[in-house]
Parts: sequence; C-alpha cells; structure tokens
Amino acid sequence: MDSLNINGQPYDVPDPSRNLLSFIRFDAGLTGTKYGCGEGLCGACTVLVDGQPVHSCTLTAGAVSGGSITTIEGLARDGELHPVQQAFVDENAMQCGYCIPGFVITSAALLQRDSHPDEAQIREALAQNMCRCGTYQRIVRAVECAAAAMEARHGE
Amino acid sequence: MASEQHGLRIVGAAAPGFPPARGSYAGAAYATTSPGAAKATWLEVRPDGSVVAYAGKVEYGQGIRTGFAVEVADELRVSLGAVEVVLGDTARTPWDMGTFGSQSTARTGLQLRRAAATARQALLELAADRLDLPASDLICRDGAVTSRSDAARAISYRDLLADKQIERDLDENAPLTPASEFTVMGKHAQRVDAVARVTGRTQYTQDVRVDGMLFAAVLRPPARAARLRSVDTSLAERMPGVAQVARDGDLVAVLARTDEQADAACALLRAEWDGADGGPSHIELPEYLVRTGRDPFVTQEEGSLDDGFRAAAHVLESAYFIPYVSNEPMEPRAAIAEWKGDQLTVWAGSQRPFGIRAEMAQELGIDEANIRVITPDVGGGFGSKSTYPVAAEAARLARVAGAPVRVAYSRADELVHAPFRPAALIRVKSGFNADGTIVAWQFDAYHAGDRPFIGRRGSETPYAVPHVKVTTYTSESPLRTGSYRSLGGAVNHFAREVHLDEIAQAAGLDPVELRLRNLTHPRFRRVLERAAEAHCWSAAARRRGAGVAIGVDVGSYCALCVDVTRQGAEVRVERVTAALDCGLVVNPDGVVNQVEGSIVMGLGTALFEAIEFRGGRVLNSGFARYRVPRTSDAPAIATLLVGDDDVPSTGAGEPAIVPIAAAISNAVFDLTGQRHRELPISRYLGAAPRGA
Repeated sequence: MDSLNINGQPYDVPDPSRNLLSFIRFDAGLTGTKYGCGEGLCGACTVLVDGQPVHSCTLTAGAVSGGSITTIEGLARDGELHPVQQAFVDENAMQCGYCIPGFVITSAALLQRDSHPDEAQIREALAQNMCRCGTYQRIVRAVECAAAAMEARHGE
Repeated sequence: MASEQHGLRIVGAAAPGFPPARGSYAGAAYATTSPGAAKATWLEVRPDGSVVAYAGKVEYGQGIRTGFAVEVADELRVSLGAVEVVLGDTARTPWDMGTFGSQSTARTGLQLRRAAATARQALLELAADRLDLPASDLICRDGAVTSRSDAARAISYRDLLADKQIERDLDENAPLTPASEFTVMGKHAQRVDAVARVTGRTQYTQDVRVDGMLFAAVLRPPARAARLRSVDTSLAERMPGVAQVARDGDLVAVLARTDEQADAACALLRAEWDGADGGPSHIELPEYLVRTGRDPFVTQEEGSLDDGFRAAAHVLESAYFIPYVSNEPMEPRAAIAEWKGDQLTVWAGSQRPFGIRAEMAQELGIDEANIRVITPDVGGGFGSKSTYPVAAEAARLARVAGAPVRVAYSRADELVHAPFRPAALIRVKSGFNADGTIVAWQFDAYHAGDRPFIGRRGSETPYAVPHVKVTTYTSESPLRTGSYRSLGGAVNHFAREVHLDEIAQAAGLDPVELRLRNLTHPRFRRVLERAAEAHCWSAAARRRGAGVAIGVDVGSYCALCVDVTRQGAEVRVERVTAALDCGLVVNPDGVVNQVEGSIVMGLGTALFEAIEFRGGRVLNSGFARYRVPRTSDAPAIATLLVGDDDVPSTGAGEPAIVPIAAAISNAVFDLTGQRHRELPISRYLGAAPRGA
C-alpha cells in the first residue's frame, strides 16, 4: 500500500487517487493546510514535499507516495516557532489568517534555498500565494525579518 | 451559558444601539432579527483573576478580538494576556445585529469598556470593604486593588473574588479611563490570535469536522434565473461512497463519505433547467442600468441647480461606469449542521450569526430557541458574508439525511453564486468658476440591485457647494448583489473624485489645491493636507503619475495620494500615502493593517476586477479569469493616523477603500493623459503616450 510521512508520522494511503489536500485535511485531520481555489492558483494549500513547496490541491496522494511531507503543523520544533512564524507574529503580518499557513510554508522554503533574498526575490517567490486581506507589505517585511533572524542565529 | 463559577459578572442590555437609526443602511438591511433576551452577560472576572469578555461580533480578520481585549485590559488594569474574548456564538454571547459597517469598535467596544469600568468600580468597592479603607484611597493596578497612600496594602482580584458569585448591572455612566491614562490602548499591540494563525491552529468553518459528517455536493443552477425542471439521480446514486442523493424542494445534493466522492457523483446528476437564458451581458450593462433605473431617491439637496448652473462660468458633464466585482474571501463559504432531536447546531462563518439563526428558523419552520449558531474564525468576508445561504442548506440536508452534513462552496461556487457589489452608471454635471469654486453639483447614480441602501452610501458630496442635488436610482440587476466593503461608497466616490480631477484639469488647478478650495470641513482638510505633505505631493505631481482622492465613510475621513508607473502593458501602483482620521485609535497597528488592506483590495477593483456574464451566467469561474492583487501588485503604503484622542472612535475597516480607485485613475491620467471613467483601468488602457 502507498504511504506518506507527514510531520514525522506515517500514514497509509488506501486510495492513491485521493487528492493530497483532502487527504491531509480530512483523512489525516491536519486542517492547518487550507483549500482556497482547487486549481493551484492561490497557494493556500502549500505544503513541503521532501523540502519542496507544492500546491497539494493539484496532486494525488499517490503521486507523492513514500514522500516526506511538512505541513504548517509540523514547522515549529520542540515548541519553538520557526523564525518565519515568529516574524509573521512580530510584524502582525495577517488579518483573517486563512492564507497565512501557505505563505509561511512558501517563505520557509524560500529561506531554505536562499538565505539572503532581496525584496524583489521575496515578492517573486510569494507571487503564487494570494492574500485577499491585502497584507502583502507586512508579509514581505516579515520574510525579510525572518531572514535576518536566521542569519543572526547562524552567526551565534 | 456563561460559566457557573463566575466570580464577578456584569450583565446589561443585550443590544446597545438597537434598533438602528431609521433610514440607516443597517436599519434598512438587516433589522430582521431583534434581541430576544432582555439582558446578557458582557463580562466576567473569574475567581482566578482572569477576564472573559463576550460579544456577538465575529472575527473575520479585522482584529476585533484583539481590539476588544485591549479595551477591556485597559479599563480593568490587567495585562492583555489575562483577557479572553468570546465572539459570535448565539448560545454564549449577547445578541448582535451583525459585524458590518465598522461598528464593532464604535459601539460594541464602547459597551465592553463600560462593562469593564463597571467591574472596576465593583472591585474597588469590594476591596474597600475587605481592606477597610475608603474607596477614594484605592486604585486598580496590575490585576489588584492597591491603596494610594500605602502601596503595601493591596488585594488581588483573585483574592477578592475567590468563592464569590456577584452579579452587577452594567452602569452606562461608569467612569471610563481617560486617554491620558491608557497603558494598553493606543499602543502597538500584538494580535492575541497571532500564534494560532501561524501554526495552523485557528479553526475556520472549513475546518470543522463532526462525527458521522457527510460531505454534500449541491446541484447549483447554471444561471441566476434557472429553475430546476427535472433531475435524474440514478447514475449518481450508484457511485462509490454515496450515502444518498438528498432532495428538499429545489435543493438537491449528493451526500457522500468524502468530498471527492460527493463531487464526482454530483457531476453525474442529469438536470434540466427552465428559464436559464436572457438578460443583458456585461457589455450591454451600462445602458441597461440607465434604462431600468427606478425609484429616484434624493440623498442630498441644497439650493437650486438651475440657479447654480446659470451662475457658473463653466459646466462639465461626465459619465462613469463601475462593473460588478466580487469579494472573493480566501475562505469559501461553508457550513456544518448537526441535529440532535429537535435541537440544531450550525457552524457557519457568517457575519451575522444571529441573523442567519432567524433566517434558518423561518426557512426550517422551527423556533429560534432550538438553533445554536457557532461562528468559528472567518477567513475573510468584507461584507459579503452577511449573505450566507449555505447554513440553511446544510440544516435542510442534515434533516433529510438524519446525519450531520457539511456544505462548502468551491472557488467557482464562490465566484459564480456569491453576491456581487452592484455595478453602477453614474452621471455627474458640475458648474464651477474660473478660480475652481464649485457652485453647482448634480449627481445621478444608477446602482444595480434590490437594496437601495447600498447605492446611497457615500453618495453625498462633502464639498461646500451651494447648489446640490444627489439622486440615486435602483436599477434591474442581471446578477445577485450584496454587501461589499463600504457597500456602494467606493463606487460613488470613484465618480465624484474623478470628476473633481476633471474640474481641476479644466480650471488649470492642482488637484489638491482644487479640493482644498472647495472643502471647509476641518477634519477633511486636515487629512488631505497631511497626506499631501507626507507624500511630497508637489514633487510627485511634477514627476507625473501622481493622483489624489479623498473620502468619508463610517464617520471617518481619509485622503490618499498615489504614484503610478507604466510597465509595458500594465499600470503599477508604486506608492500610496494614506491619512486617516477615525477619532480615538484603540489599536494603531490594527487600524494601519485595515488601511493597507483596504488599499490593496480597492487597487484590484481599479486595475483588474470585473465580473463578465452573459444570459445570467457568470463567465469568470476561477482565479484564472478573475484577477485579484498579488504580492507583485502591492504598493508601498505609508499610513498616518491623524485623529484626536478625545473624539470617539469611528470605523477603520472601510474608509481607505472609498478613495483609492479614483486616486489611481487620476494618477493614470497624470501619467498618460488618458482619462479613465470606466473600470477596471487595465481593460481600457490605451497605447497613446501623454500628449499624443
């Protein structure tokens, strides 16, 4: 049987054609990952598969069988917020918050592959994510702050 | 249904500010329910010293959970973390008309401050008794009552209230804390719900799961006017996972164990529809609105237009068209309904939990008292979620199925079936003198839809014009209409503020100067002067691509200056400076966040957004065909809060959206010489450079 590892926990996948987002939300019960459009256009459903950000609403669970998935619930470690999460909190980079898990995951992936993105690179990396409350300015600032915090931490 | 061990409880009238003023949009729109219970619990100080505040408002991003906590914390002299805010639950919170019109801080926040001030007075009296000191010698500080003369003599709220059950009536005249003594209010406050949001723990309606819940896929009509003639369910019923195809009158839905099974089976329903065609398309709409306009309603009349136009040196006439736009909150509407005997519980992310309870009672033919509506956090609404038909759909289907049922809109459902901001055609005729003084102003606005209060909002001119007549008309609407941020305020402001620029152009005056010449209201003048100064207006206008507009909404005044550039085939808004006067500011960063959000949302309506339709069928059924602003479109926004602390708080969630589309259109004119009287601008952007 196909299987997935989500946030360190193993899950059987009885139906490989199951939509990955629905599997995560309704079968695994991890509802922090959101449905926004079902077409891969808004980024609310973004999760990491083996470290890479993907739109889970456009994939089947079988397509990533054997993969290791990180959802928003799995980003904090040992009770400590990921620097990106902390920066979103510090900058009040949210309103309704529905899109925020997707933005946080996408931002964490960006900083994983590029620890010093400039503002244009941040905007480009986040262009796939949509925030209808319009908190973009704060989100970009939060990612900049997170990059600085991560650099300071590495320097310790 | 507040806690049993309540310590100190403050009860008061369930609905301050109800009924709404006659003629107000709230009164016209949503006074369909009224407070049943005479009194409600507003606040408790628990025996452990913690504080719980109750309000029937809902949190849909505007930050009122934080705002209310800030207000209560300051009045009770406790830390922000000691305050829990319970919102939007018909079984637990005071009745409320709905979360719209930027009333939460102005009305409900004030009520909670009074409740907290009442509690503070009660705690002082209790402490005077316990410490055997005169109340005049006591003050509340850090969750305790302390003697002014001897700081060693103090008693914590917790010690005061252990084993106590005290109930006090909310004192409307309890002394509120003056602004000079605020320690929490007016300072930067971190959202109390921030960590839950970044960790995915915030629960929205889409996330609610109930044991035994079936997923519904509802058969939706292809066009607004379509009526179901017949449906063949045989194929759908044989699909895997399908529990049943439920039918309740016109409502038909597949109920299945999973969302995908329900959707797959629903696609196999063979339905035939009557009356699915007819009506104008979006291209024919402007003319249609004028032709079908009826029920003229004069929102403002002064002097005599005949006299005004006769006296004017110049007369200018223009028409403006604003298409239907959609709210498109990130969380599509959803509802989960569960019956236990004759008791119904519905989780629904509506802006009107009490309102939809009344609607459901009527639709289901049961007593309101048998329905509980719980509102989890709402993933955006912007006014639109005042309309929430999925709640009753879920309740009806759950009754048929004998099991809990979840109904959720897809994105396409949200774009096609949710109500739109009414489209409008607005004609403006102005008379003015060579120095730019406006002497006559005629404004005729044809707004689509059956809710006249939407089109009346913000139609009155704030300029000091001696001869004025403003008339709004209600026009036939081929599409479903409903609430939007500022209702029709942003629509009326677009026409008015673009026209002001046309007058400035005709009179050869700077647009800021022209406005100041016709504005006497001191709060209006101040926001305009402050925004222009902070934007370095003169320099920006010299560089070209600068635009200005002002607006008033929900009692607050706003001015915006914007800079735009042309990048290939697109206009990009580079920079916005906003000045807002909303009186006393409870949570400054919360207000700034609302201003930024209003600007980005309005930017979408200015540049990209328009619903296209033909024969009552919406053609943009996904984000690929309905462009909304993204990170790459967002401008740099600087916000100045210029209100006075001794002026009562007014709304902050809407004022900044009313001037933005005009400011952008005016800036594009400054850049290209092309006047945009129709939205969205991207559709009409010509290739001609300025002066060509």
